[in-house]
Formats: sequence, structure tokens, C-alpha cells
Amino acid sequence: MDSSAAESGRAATRPRLLILTPDFPPAPGGIQVVVERLAAGMDGFETLVLAPDGPGAGAFDAATDLRVQRVGGGARLRGGRSALLNAAALRAAASFRPALTLSAHIVTSPGAAAIRAALGARTAQYFHAEEIGARPRLAAFAASRADLSIAVSAYTAQLIAATGAQPRRARVIANGADVPADASALPAERPTILTIARIEERYKGHDTMVRALALMLAKVPDAQWVVIGEGSLRPAIEALARGYGVDRSIRFLGAVSDRERDAWLRRARLLAMPSRLPAGPFAGEGFGIVYLEAGAYAKPVLAGNVGGALDAVIDGETGLLVDPLDALAVADAITALLRDDALAARLGAAGRKRAEQQAWPLVAARVQRELLELLEAR
Amino acid sequence: MFARMCGIAGSTEDPDGRLVRAMCATLRHRGPDDEGVHCDPPAGVSIGARRLSVMDLDGGHQPLCNEDGSIWAAFNGEIYNHRKLREDLRRRGHSFTTAGDTEVLVHLYEEFGEAMVHALEGMFSFAIWDQRERRLLLARDRFGEKPLFVHEHGGELLFASELTSLLEVKPSLRELDPYAIDAFFVFAYVPGPGTIVPGVRQLPPGQLLSWRRQDRRCEQRSWWSPPQRGSRRRESFAAVAAEASELFEQAVATRMVADVPVGVFLSGGVDSTLVASAAARTSSQRLQTFTVGYDVGGVNETERARSVAAKLGSEHHEVTLTQADVAGRVPALLASLDQPLADRATVPLHALSEFARPRVTVALGGEGADELFGGYPRYRRLEQARRVHAALPTVALRPLAGALRASGGLAAASRASRRLAPTPMIERNLDWVTAARRHLRDGLYGPRLAELDRSRVLTDLGLRAGELDGGTAARWLMHLDQVHYLPDDVLVKTDRASMLVSLELRSVFLHAGLAELAGSLDTSMHLSGAGKALVHSMLPAGLISSSRGGRYRKTAFRVPAAEWLRGPLAATLGEQLEQGSIYSEGYFDRGAVAQLAREHASGASDHSDRLWPLLAFGLWADRFHGLERR
Repeated sequence: MDSSAAESGRAATRPRLLILTPDFPPAPGGIQVVVERLAAGMDGFETLVLAPDGPGAGAFDAATDLRVQRVGGGARLRGGRSALLNAAALRAAASFRPALTLSAHIVTSPGAAAIRAALGARTAQYFHAEEIGARPRLAAFAASRADLSIAVSAYTAQLIAATGAQPRRARVIANGADVPADASALPAERPTILTIARIEERYKGHDTMVRALALMLAKVPDAQWVVIGEGSLRPAIEALARGYGVDRSIRFLGAVSDRERDAWLRRARLLAMPSRLPAGPFAGEGFGIVYLEAGAYAKPVLAGNVGGALDAVIDGETGLLVDPLDALAVADAITALLRDDALAARLGAAGRKRAEQQAWPLVAARVQRELLELLEAR
Repeated sequence: MFARMCGIAGSTEDPDGRLVRAMCATLRHRGPDDEGVHCDPPAGVSIGARRLSVMDLDGGHQPLCNEDGSIWAAFNGEIYNHRKLREDLRRRGHSFTTAGDTEVLVHLYEEFGEAMVHALEGMFSFAIWDQRERRLLLARDRFGEKPLFVHEHGGELLFASELTSLLEVKPSLRELDPYAIDAFFVFAYVPGPGTIVPGVRQLPPGQLLSWRRQDRRCEQRSWWSPPQRGSRRRESFAAVAAEASELFEQAVATRMVADVPVGVFLSGGVDSTLVASAAARTSSQRLQTFTVGYDVGGVNETERARSVAAKLGSEHHEVTLTQADVAGRVPALLASLDQPLADRATVPLHALSEFARPRVTVALGGEGADELFGGYPRYRRLEQARRVHAALPTVALRPLAGALRASGGLAAASRASRRLAPTPMIERNLDWVTAARRHLRDGLYGPRLAELDRSRVLTDLGLRAGELDGGTAARWLMHLDQVHYLPDDVLVKTDRASMLVSLELRSVFLHAGLAELAGSLDTSMHLSGAGKALVHSMLPAGLISSSRGGRYRKTAFRVPAAEWLRGPLAATLGEQLEQGSIYSEGYFDRGAVAQLAREHASGASDHSDRLWPLLAFGLWADRFHGLERR
């Protein structure tokens, strides 16, 4: 038997998994990464990914080993994209006949529920965080209709519980990280603090970083804050930095290539992202994959002591967790990591070890195990 | 009537503290409870403070120092987060001997040097003398709530919380700046960083000044300025409102901390009602609220305030500012101000402070909300005008404006005509807020002001406003108000009117986090609805009634100035015209002003927009010249 025949024979024996997702590469973002790494890492299934079409999607799909079906149009209509995706999910399921549907975001939960009702496919629902705060009723629907609810952190699980939903089966599976083979440090001209996040949500704490920088520069005057990421709040953060007189110590790089991002992770002394909980009913950081990714480069991290960061960062071991609203505390922690070589090295090494334990293939295997158990439990 | 408030003073040419003691004596009204001076004779530097006790009533003597006596601080104001800072500093090994906020400054300075200011949440001006580095650091709070005047001469510095203190010990500075008088007449306040005398400047809000004995050089830099570039998108209003609300609650909670009773000045408008409702929730005791009314004119906010107070369950106090009271209070008050100020609301605020003082030592107010959150209707109107201008070709604007004017009669046509007129935005705004007084200068100025370059007022205003920077006109005007009208009028008024009776007035909206949030929003978010949309969203339902369209009526301790000038102040105005130094010294034309006064008195016209600044300046100048003649 040749290898393709072996593969097709194996496929015939593997249960079929339909992944519904509104976020998938090459579009940038954390959820996109989660879904792609899970889909790629779960080889116990014959998988079909259903995702929206977008710029560069054709080239991406041609280059990947994954089977991806794209849904086009509707992006201009509010909610139109999700409606089209859910409608397409039913059509795809009718021909693909999945044993299991994994809804990667609550907006695809109606499609997953419909497939369950029409075809009897079991349903797993992934929860991140922000979407639960923004649409609690839909989140409650998703959690109550799914056979399995997977939260990316204990914080996310709390958010699900706060909607009043009672999931049939619930698991917390922390997100993963890509672990580079070469994580060696690169020389930096100045002590560098790195933040990697879209400048779109206030809770990411770019504003606190500006305030902290103004204090921190008194202790480490030659430090620089390198900000990777683009977003509509960028002009406001730049204006804030000018108002504090610290703009000369900041480099806003905007969106950069993965290669450049990785180079900065190697150059930086630490990664800082003091995410806070948003006020009101809104949700904050579900996990913070970037904390693990920094660990993968043996970099210590500074994070807020709230939300998903509590699962992503082990305080005093892989990074420092502080009150994300307290600029003085943020400044102190960053200063400590910039000045204390031994501390930074110890936390960085532990961060690398933790990233290895949370490498995406291992995380995907955990998710796969849960999904297979779900099928066996029929 | 006038007790005296906290203030600081210092000199780099005063080894034995003689000058500083003399300056402190003039600040007695700012700090009736205590006085202290620290001298460093080898360096020639002395710093001093007068103190009104609000926290650590017995242990807050100033100036005070760090553990080894090498860092000294003299401080005016309040650090609202001083307890949290104290805990942080203790963890770093600093030891404290007092419970007040001043001691936090010396230890913070040890930790962060001049960057210490970034850790402070509060209203302040302070001086720190670093004996080891032989360095003097002066700083002023973000918004300019507390004053600081500086005279620099030959590499030496003299500074104080009041201009009057500097003039007291340096009589050669007693000379009026004609350009400052010109600006005063146009704005009704003296715009910073200049002052009414040429030899003294103000340290601007959010700035630091560092002086070293070694080279006697001053370095001044900005450490904070309000952000004026909003985000590019319309965010979820609910999410932003939730964040604003959380910050506001924090601001109220920190401003309620005092070792003395705290009350709220309640006009019944949106801002003060919001402050009162949050304070009522925070206070462990029944909240005391205060409002002021009048016995003349159509302006009276007492009923609205009373209604709010009843709903909040506060212990409410009302004072009526009678015409008899006005006759005695206003001349003395306007004359006693450190610099001339013609904001009419100074009068009720002073009366209210005096009335509240036996009951509370600290009062919360709503100042700054309009400037930070887009509360003035003119922001929206002038933004609309800018859009019309941008949409129409210039050649079409003038004829269109003319045609609308010619159509006559209709108020709407008249308004549209004004909006279409090709006047630069900065002048349009200026004329709106100053009742176009700049156009009256030719007729009212006397020979001493006749030769002035009249365009300088606009040039200076343009420099303060900065560039439009790609933003909206509304954002630009909000920024201008934040750096001009707010520090130089509103906050001067609140500081002087309250401190003259030794009451501390704390503004809840002037909170760094709130201001930064407000500055980071898309302007349309502020201006949606009736404007100040975020503030309205924070108001508990049912506290005050809104008029049509859900709009709240604007109230802010308004004043029946026109009636007062015809009634209780008519005699004072008459005396001014007969004997006032601004006429005898040739600054203003007695005949022209007398004509205005006659027209106003007859009821034929309302010239209060012109007469009030002239009265305020005249009374102030008489005192000033009295000082000069001493």
C-alpha cells in the first residue's frame, strides 16, 4: 500500500471533525492562531475547517495541509458574515457528515447547534473571553447547547458561569505557544521592554505603560519601550506619551512580520502587557498567548494580576503579576526585571520551560483527548 | 470677612529666611494654622510655607525633611493618593514621622527625582530643596489648581503662591504690564504664563522648574499636558461609560479623604449633582450640600439644588446673596484678589465658601467637566460651522452670508450668517466666549493703552492653542479651554474664592485618569446628544429632570450681574468712574465708560459684559496702586 492509500485508509477510520470559525489565518489575531494550531495538531480526526474568505486566504489554503473551506461575502453587513458562516456550516455538514463540530467562537454556536439537531453531531464550544462580556446571551446559548465547553482559562470559565449557563461538560484547557528551536538572545542597543498587542482595546494597558514609563525612566534612563501592534487607539496612546514627555523613549512599530516580531522577542529584556479587567460587564484578557510566547524566548514577563494572565503567568516563577492599574507597581516590576540580571534570567528560563510544556502540539493533544472522550461517551 | 489660605514661598537669595518670612506673612489667609521656614545659609536658599490644616491636623508642620535632613519640601495643596504612596514608600524602607501628605514628597523625590510628580494624584504646587545636590525643584499640578508665581533675575529665583507676596518683598516689581491689561480686558482674566506685572511669571500647569546653585541656571519642562488626539473610531459607548464611571467613583472616593468635614457645592446642574450623588454614596455620614441664591434677577438655581438634595437625602444649606451683601462683598472681594479677575461667579462662590466654612473645611465641586467632556454648546456649533466652511467654496461663503443677513429678522438666518462668515475659528471662538470685547478696545482704551499692538492677544492665544493637528475643531477648542480658560479663570476663581475664607475646594473631574480617558476618545462621543454625553450617562436616573429631547439645562452658579450693576454696585461703579486709578492713570477712557454706565443704568442696554471687567480691574488696580504708593 502506498502512503496516500494508507492515509486515505486511515482517514476512513478517523472520526470527522468540522471546525467552524470566524477567525482563521492568514487574518492576524490570537483566536486565529488558536484555531489553526488546534486543527493542525489534532491528527486523530479527519478535519474540515470552515472559515470566512479574505485577503490572502487562497494562498494560505494552498500552502497548508489542512482542508479549509472558505465562505465569502457578507463582510460589509453587520452580523452578515456570521449569518453566512452559520448557513454555510449546515450545507458543509450535510455533505461532510461530521461526528463532531467544534465551534471556535460563540458566533458560530447557532450553526453548531443546528448541525447537532439535524445530524446528531456532537458539539464542542471554545470560549476565549472578550466575546462573553460583549454578548453574554449568545455565550449562554453556546454553553448550554454544546456537549462540551472548553474555556482557555479559569477566568474564562468564571465568565461563562456568570452568564448563568450550566454547561453539560466543562473543561479548562490553557492555550499554547509555538516554541522556536533558536531562542537565543540578540544584542539590543538599549534595555528594551516589549509589548505585543493590537492597540485596539483599552484593557491591554498601553496607557498604564506610558504612565509607568514616566516613573521607570528615572531609574533606567536609557530604557526603551517597543510597541508592536496597530490599532485605532494608537494616536491616543501616542498623544498620551507626548503629554507625559516620554515619547522619545518609545518606538511604535505598528504591525510587523512574524520574523521581525521574533527578532524583537530575542532582543527584548522582557515582555510587558499589564492587561486589566475592563469596567462594567465587559471581559478582558482571556489568556494572553503572548506571555507564553515571550517565555518561549526565555523572556520574563510583566502582566496584570487579573483575568486570564493568572493562568498564563506564574507569579514569581515565569513573570511578575502586579495591579495593572497601579503605574508605580508596574514601573517597579519592570525596573526590577531590567536591573536584576539574575531575576530576569531565572524567570526567563522558567518561562521557556513552561512554554515547552504548553507547546501547541501538546495542547492540541489535550483538546483532542477531550473531544475523543466526548465521542466515546455517546 | 477674609481669613487667610495654604501657601508656599521661597528665595535663592535669602540665607537667613527674612524675605521668605515676609512673603509667608502675606500668605496668612492661605494658611491660618501654621507657618515655617527652612534656611540653608551656605546655599542662600530658604523655603517656607503657611498651612491650612486639612489632614494630620497637628503633625503637618512645614517645611519638612527626609530621614537625614538632606531633602526639604514646602507644599501647597492635597495629594489624594498619599496614603497609598506612603505604604509603597514604607515597603522601600522609608520611615515617616508625620501622617500628612507633604512627607510623601521628600521620600518620593529620593526615589524618583523629579519624575516623582508622575506618582502624584492631586492638586499642588511645591518646592523641594535638595541640600546635597544644591538643587531647587518647583512643580505645579496637572491642571493648574494651585498657583505658583516666579520671579527670575540674574540667575536667582523668588517664588510664592501669590503674586502679592513677591510684590511685598520686591517693590520694584510693582509695575503694570499694558499687554496684560489688554489681555485682561479681552478675556476677563490674565492669561498665563504671564502675569499682570512684567517681571513675574507663573509656572504653567503640569510643568517643573529646576534650579541649581552651581550654575544658577533654570530648566523648565512640561511633565504632563492633556492629550488632545482622540482615537480614530467610535468605541462602544457602554464600555467607555463604564470606565469613566469607575474612574469617577475613584476620584470621588479619594477626594472625600480628610480629617475634617467634607461637603459638596451643589448648583443642581449635571456636574455638581453627579458629584453630590457619588459623595452621598461614599460618605459614612450624612452629606452636607450647599447652594447659593439671589434676591434679585431671574437667575435662581436654589430650587433645582433643593430638589436634588431632597432626593439624595443630604443635609442641605442655602444662602441668599442679598443686594445689601453684594454692595459690601463685591468691592472688597474684587480688590483683594491676587490678580484681577472678572469672572462674575467668583462672587457667589466666595459667598458660598464663606457660608459653608463653619460647617465644612473641604468642599467638592464639579469644575473642569465642561472643558474635559465637551459640555459647552459652542464646541458643537463651531464644529458645525467648520464643516460648512469645508464643504462650500470660499467664494460662495461671503455672498451667502450676506444674503442671509439681508433676509433680516429671523434669528436662525442671523445665526447661519454668523457661521458662514469667513472669520478664523480662533477668533470666532474668542468672540463667542468674551462677548466680542476686543472690538470695543478702540473706543474704551485711554492713552496708556492706545499705542499697544492689539494683535498680540490673538497671536498669544494662537500659540497657546497650538495646531489643529488633524483633529476636529471641537477637539481643538476643548484643548484650548483646558490650557487657557480652565487654569487661568476657572481654577483661579475656585482657588482664590475658597482659600480667601480658608476652605479647600476639590474638583472631582480634575483627575488624571479621567482627563486622559476624555482626551483619548473620539470627539463625536463627547458631543453626541446634548454634549457631555459621558457625564450625562453617569447620572443616576431621576435625580434631575431633563427638558425636551433629554437635554439638561446648564446651571453653574450663574450671576445676576446686570441687576447688581444697576443696583447695589451702581455706587461703586460711580466712585470708580470719579476716582478710579484706571481712569486717572490713563488706562481707560472715563467718558466712554461713563456713557456705557449710563446706558446700562437706564435699562436701555445690558453692558454688564463690559462694565464688570472694568469694575473688577478698577477695584483691583486701586489696591495695587495703593500698594505702590505705600
